[in-house]
Amino acid sequence: MKWKKLGKIFDPAGHQFPMDSAGFAQSPQALVLDDRVRVYFSTRERDRTGKYLSHVAFVDFDRCMKYILGTSRQQVIELGGLGCFDEHGIFPVNMLRDGNRVLAYTTGWNRKVSVSADAAIGLAISHDQGLTFKKYGSGPVMAAALNEPFLIGDAFVAKYDDDYHMWYIFGTRWTQHSEAEQLERVYKIAHAVSSDGINWRRDGRPIIPDKLNINECQALPTVIKLDTLYHMYFCYREAHGFRNQSDKAYRIGYAYSTDLINWVRDDEQAGIDVSTDGWDSQMQCYPHVFECEGNVYMLYNGNDFGRNGFGLAVLDR
Amino acid sequence: MFKWEKLGNVFDPKNQYDRSWMHEFAQSPSAVVFENYVRVYFCARPKPNPDGMYLSYLAYIDLDRKNLLNVVNVCKEPALKLGAHGTFDEFGTNPISVIRDGDEVRVYYAGITRCESVPFNAAIGMAISRDDGDSFVRMGDGPVLSYSPDEPFLLGSPRARKFGKRWFLWYVSGKTWLRTEGKPEPIYKIRMASSDDGINWVKQGRDLLEDRLGEHECQACPDVIYRNGNYHMFFCYRYSHNYKNQEGGYRIGYAFSNDMVNWQRCDKKAGLEVSETGWDAQMVNYPHVFMLDDETYMLYQGNEMGRTGIGLAKMLSPRDWSLN
Repeated sequence: MKWKKLGKIFDPAGHQFPMDSAGFAQSPQALVLDDRVRVYFSTRERDRTGKYLSHVAFVDFDRCMKYILGTSRQQVIELGGLGCFDEHGIFPVNMLRDGNRVLAYTTGWNRKVSVSADAAIGLAISHDQGLTFKKYGSGPVMAAALNEPFLIGDAFVAKYDDDYHMWYIFGTRWTQHSEAEQLERVYKIAHAVSSDGINWRRDGRPIIPDKLNINECQALPTVIKLDTLYHMYFCYREAHGFRNQSDKAYRIGYAYSTDLINWVRDDEQAGIDVSTDGWDSQMQCYPHVFECEGNVYMLYNGNDFGRNGFGLAVLDR
Repeated sequence: MFKWEKLGNVFDPKNQYDRSWMHEFAQSPSAVVFENYVRVYFCARPKPNPDGMYLSYLAYIDLDRKNLLNVVNVCKEPALKLGAHGTFDEFGTNPISVIRDGDEVRVYYAGITRCESVPFNAAIGMAISRDDGDSFVRMGDGPVLSYSPDEPFLLGSPRARKFGKRWFLWYVSGKTWLRTEGKPEPIYKIRMASSDDGINWVKQGRDLLEDRLGEHECQACPDVIYRNGNYHMFFCYRYSHNYKNQEGGYRIGYAFSNDMVNWQRCDKKAGLEVSETGWDAQMVNYPHVFMLDDETYMLYQGNEMGRTGIGLAKMLSPRDWSLN
């Protein structure tokens, strides 16, 4: 399958969001409403220590994804309290329309001492079309487990038949390339199932084989069913050198499945790659696939992890 | 009311000059009975780092079964290594609860990690020994009991028991971190989970005990035994502030239940109070009750959260565990 790039459709520089002092519009994810497409993303604020705090914001597009209708005017989901899993940021957030509710699966970040941070997946619920959310408890719905020791995040939830399926990532190790460099994390894509969207049964294993090496980092799975096949897009990169070396930076990968359990990885079929120059020429990351008005779209970030906004592509069928 | 005879301070780690990892503290004692000795596991600490932060290791001593005040062996090395970089138990395994299950010995422990905004966090891990309790290997790099929507942080102070084929874990769950002029101080309450295998746990999802010192009471170390138709829980509790002195420090409380759901708290019955003077005059805490040769004993830690070591008491009455 091939994607036709429609270009960068949103640049945070032209907008002002609450709690947004440092720009960024990372990991765009769509909530398709009756009269608009609400695209959530995470922006960043610098706190007193100079470190970043990620906050959820949104921008509304018309259902043809051509015009911006408005942006969020208040904080969409509050960060957690002292000592909570989401005290230092929410990034990313995935939205699921579920009857009259909107379920937001958040990745909450908290800072550590020996490593930079840990993460877990939380749930927040909206009853006003995703304008405001109330958290389901102050703790996470998916935290570290026996064989998933840290960095639980990047949830993508879809409902097939009566089950909620979650694709997410968990950390496998912290690795140090050389003494002069900081510890870097390694994480893999996994899967869990739930009957209520709250209590999850995990497979407890990585489901996408590595392509680069054992330290390949896999992130942000997004799944769509087209005809009889399930298609997963995600991003992957090297564990070191990924910030400033394009050949080690994020690319978009692809896998397909007939049963939601067994996945065949086939990155050649991703159908999208970095541009020769411009905003997505160094890296492509955080893909999110959705359908609207008969089109299948992919939202994604380009260079510098989305510092300068996000772009859109449409499936060329 | 239970009547206890204090037998004294059985172990003070400060005398272990040849073990740098056991510089001081003997916390959360937990007993496993062997043929000729009673092995008492506890948590020991090396000297703190320049910032005053401690590590904590699983340790044990062996007490002569014929004379429990006679320490016949002190372990040479930590019985469980600390966790790898970034894991939940990188900076300590404390408190602990050790239980025999057939050929295995299991330790349930609170793994300690260090955080930026609060001093630490904890989740409950498990490790197994197949050499009769000499050394333990963790089940996985992650915890067996982790955070959930209404248990956001600080899962600790585990006490494991097996009744019939079912595993039970009493533990504490953090409620809030209080901002203070110094470091934030946590509030935590006693809860319970149960399991068929001791690995996959179902949380009961509620605080078990009513507060006696107000909503900021901290409760810890819920140690439960079954006698004469009731489940008897000994635990410890303290104020959230000024708890390092005699006035606000830990005391041992008591509650009972016939169904493990409804607990009636009755601290007056606990019967083990601070002494007039000495190693347990400021606080008594982290109780552990065990049976040996038709007698009931309680191990506990004393002043400064166990810096002064472990004590032992023998139950005198009521021998039939009646509640009158």
